[in-house]
Amino acid sequence: MKNLKNTLLLMLVIFSLNSFAQDNNPKLDEAIKKGLDMINSAKAAEDLMKSANYFERIAQVESKAWLPQYYAAYSNLSAGLESADKKVKDQLWDKALQEIEQANNLSPENSEIYALKGYLEYMKLSIDPQSRLNYMGQSAASLEQAKKINPDNPRIYLISGQNKFFTPEAFGGGKTNAKPILETAAAKFTIFKATSPLMPNWGAERLKTLLAQCN
Amino acid sequence: MKAFYLIPVLFLYSSLSFGQTIISGTIKSANGLPLANANIQLKGSYDGTSSDNNGNYKFSSDEKGTQVIICSALNYEADSIRIELGTKPVLANLILKEATNQLQTVTISAGSFVAGDGKKGAVLSALDIATTAGTRADVFAALQTLPGTQVNFSESGLFVRGGAAAETKTYFDGLLVKSPFNASVPDKASRGRLSPFLFKGTSFSAGGYSAQYGQALSSALILESTDLPEKTTTGISLLSVGGGVDQNIRYKNSSITVGGYYYNLSPVYNLIKQQTNFVKAPEQLGGNVHYKLKTSETGMLKVYAAYSKSKFSLMENDNNTLADQFFLSNNNDNTYLNASYKEFLNASWKLEAGFAYNKDSDEGLKVLDQYSRGDHLMEEKLTLTHYYGKLSNLKFGLETFGTGREESLGTLTHEYKDQISSGFAESDIFLSSKLVVRLGLRTEYSSYLDRYNLAPRASLGIKTAANDQLSMAYGRFYQNPEDEYLIIKPTNFEQADHYILKYERNTDDRNFRVEAFYKDYRGLTKVNAGVPDNSGNGYAQGFELFWRDKKSIKDADFWISYSFLDTRRNFRDFPTAATPSFAAKHTASLVFKKFVNAINTQVGAAYSFASGRTYYNPNNPVYLADKTKSYNNLSFTVSHLTHILKQFTVLYVNANNVPGFKNVYGYNYSNDGLSRQAKLPSARRDLFVGLLMTIGDNTFVR
Repeated sequence: MKNLKNTLLLMLVIFSLNSFAQDNNPKLDEAIKKGLDMINSAKAAEDLMKSANYFERIAQVESKAWLPQYYAAYSNLSAGLESADKKVKDQLWDKALQEIEQANNLSPENSEIYALKGYLEYMKLSIDPQSRLNYMGQSAASLEQAKKINPDNPRIYLISGQNKFFTPEAFGGGKTNAKPILETAAAKFTIFKATSPLMPNWGAERLKTLLAQCN
Repeated sequence: MKAFYLIPVLFLYSSLSFGQTIISGTIKSANGLPLANANIQLKGSYDGTSSDNNGNYKFSSDEKGTQVIICSALNYEADSIRIELGTKPVLANLILKEATNQLQTVTISAGSFVAGDGKKGAVLSALDIATTAGTRADVFAALQTLPGTQVNFSESGLFVRGGAAAETKTYFDGLLVKSPFNASVPDKASRGRLSPFLFKGTSFSAGGYSAQYGQALSSALILESTDLPEKTTTGISLLSVGGGVDQNIRYKNSSITVGGYYYNLSPVYNLIKQQTNFVKAPEQLGGNVHYKLKTSETGMLKVYAAYSKSKFSLMENDNNTLADQFFLSNNNDNTYLNASYKEFLNASWKLEAGFAYNKDSDEGLKVLDQYSRGDHLMEEKLTLTHYYGKLSNLKFGLETFGTGREESLGTLTHEYKDQISSGFAESDIFLSSKLVVRLGLRTEYSSYLDRYNLAPRASLGIKTAANDQLSMAYGRFYQNPEDEYLIIKPTNFEQADHYILKYERNTDDRNFRVEAFYKDYRGLTKVNAGVPDNSGNGYAQGFELFWRDKKSIKDADFWISYSFLDTRRNFRDFPTAATPSFAAKHTASLVFKKFVNAINTQVGAAYSFASGRTYYNPNNPVYLADKTKSYNNLSFTVSHLTHILKQFTVLYVNANNVPGFKNVYGYNYSNDGLSRQAKLPSARRDLFVGLLMTIGDNTFVR
């Protein structure tokens, strides 16, 4: 009986690991690893556009895997952050929003996806806050959803702290309001362990930079 | 043993690299520009690369045989090419077509002004409507800062391009609002009943509008209500004239908002001297419920219901003698219901259905006689939209409404009832992303008039450059005479033809528009010896300029509008064609807003100017030949954002006509023509203070 229980447990563990590892596709894993290296070694907006293209190519083939869509969106988000032209930013973020929507369809109720969505919606707002106030509520709702699914995801606190950081004090933002949230993020980052090296694990560096500016 | 294993591996590896084919080429746009960062991919494999700054690319693949290369780039339409992969390198060049970018696509824009959040072609945001100085968050007052409208404080309503107030109709989620204004004090404009915060989009058309809308000779104000709120919140407003509470409750797929308010102007009127001699200052009590249900991913049901009750009484000047005053009291009851449903039947068909009910009744005492007046409207509307091609659509629908008025004075009573049924069809035909034609047709039958009409509409938009557009519109518009004439006897439709030409240039931070128009009025109602007929006519022509700039001054935003209007008409009791008193030749306004971060405050100013209006002087043999002096108003608003008890709070102050310009809207002459009395604003200067608090959210967005 005990044996059966152990076997079941083991099966469950293997099954869940398996699902995390995207149906065990070593070719895909290898490709994602290579793409992550591209992101990490990127120096300018162009490099990130190239990594976005790279992940979009993988996503075309791997129509059931959410990670390529997720990293394509993340690359486009980062490329937008590095671009100077408002119009280009806006277009890249529109594309990223479409990709994160795709990722959401492939992996519903995923905390990482909602967190990145909240990030993107806030950046869409930042292009023209006066006429895009609708994104403020949307971003807050996405982050809320991300927290509901996994309250231990440190990126939620990084993003919502960052949103606060860049929101004028009058609108409920500012450094003082951002600091406690960013500190929560720091605490969550120390205990966070990605389930695999391919899973989202970015943000710790960005957090350090923001926290340094809060003091 | 190990070395033995290595041999086949090495062999395999070398054979792999040996069998790779190199694919290269250049990606260019249709006009020959090299495209950087285009994505090139061998379909069905990971193989591919991005183009460099010269549009060149190069990659290798192990795939063999007939393959497809897909190429995509930001702002361009994806394209593909078939290639044969063998051992020889393959050259594949591609030319991509520019994608129909939503923002750069031509629009139907002649005559219209769009306000809304994230809306295509929007010139103002929803918040702009609420925060324009001098408007106190009244939609109609804010629209008076746009070109084509008159600054008017002596009569309720929007006066557009030489049209009377009754020629502008208000639509709430596609349905006609019969009584959009609060009960008005004689010779004073009153506020709109609908709060700007109800709407996510406002489209104001000064002419040439869609065949979906009828019964308006001059202008259509199309209001689109907001969708589900993001959160559950409570709002409290404390104003110098009263206060209100509303509760927003958000459920997973639905929401309900319940609100109530009470206004009493008497404390303010004790502080700010009023021109009107009130016996009882206006008092109003009301409530509303707004329910929204997301019926599916694309379906939405909305129900809005509102009730309000108001009263006032005053001593009105007797226009015959000017020496005497008589008593006038008014009790107003208004009920409004609007229900709408929207759903996509499939990817290319959309259904919209709506129902509206409006009842507005006034009663009171005029000198010694009891009077009453009741207006009602019940409307049903059904619209189907078919989307075809990339951008084009065909819309058609049916609308019917029962309307009418009953009134009594002492023992005299009158009433009339009318059922107006209409059918419309309209198509937006995009011949390319740079050229659009809209053709529409509307027909109406009025049971009371027992007549039909047929109104053709046409509109054209041409994109002349990335940010520039030229638009033209023609349309015929009909409306039934105003209730006060219809109740005497049925006559015929009034008619206006619009011709519009517009040029605009829109960038992210700046909008420039210039528009010229000509309007030909026929069948206007004329009253001869108390009997109305349709022998009136008239024209209006002019041009308008608009400039909005969010860039030139840091953190600030301003818009300037100017309207030139030349109009004459022979209608109502006019003995001859003349410029009516509601039409000033020159109207201009400047609205300025700036957010001052250091003090968490938005400051705003608005200046309006209107040249003199005509007024009737019985001593002048020429009808309506006298003119008042010009109108000036400079108003300021300050919105300070703060927190009270940790809840987000806005402290709002609005000061109207700060320099104290002495404005006159016209004169009332005594019957003998010997004395006259000026029509003045209710107060020369005015101050309004409010505190708006949001509980349940640490940001001010609800």
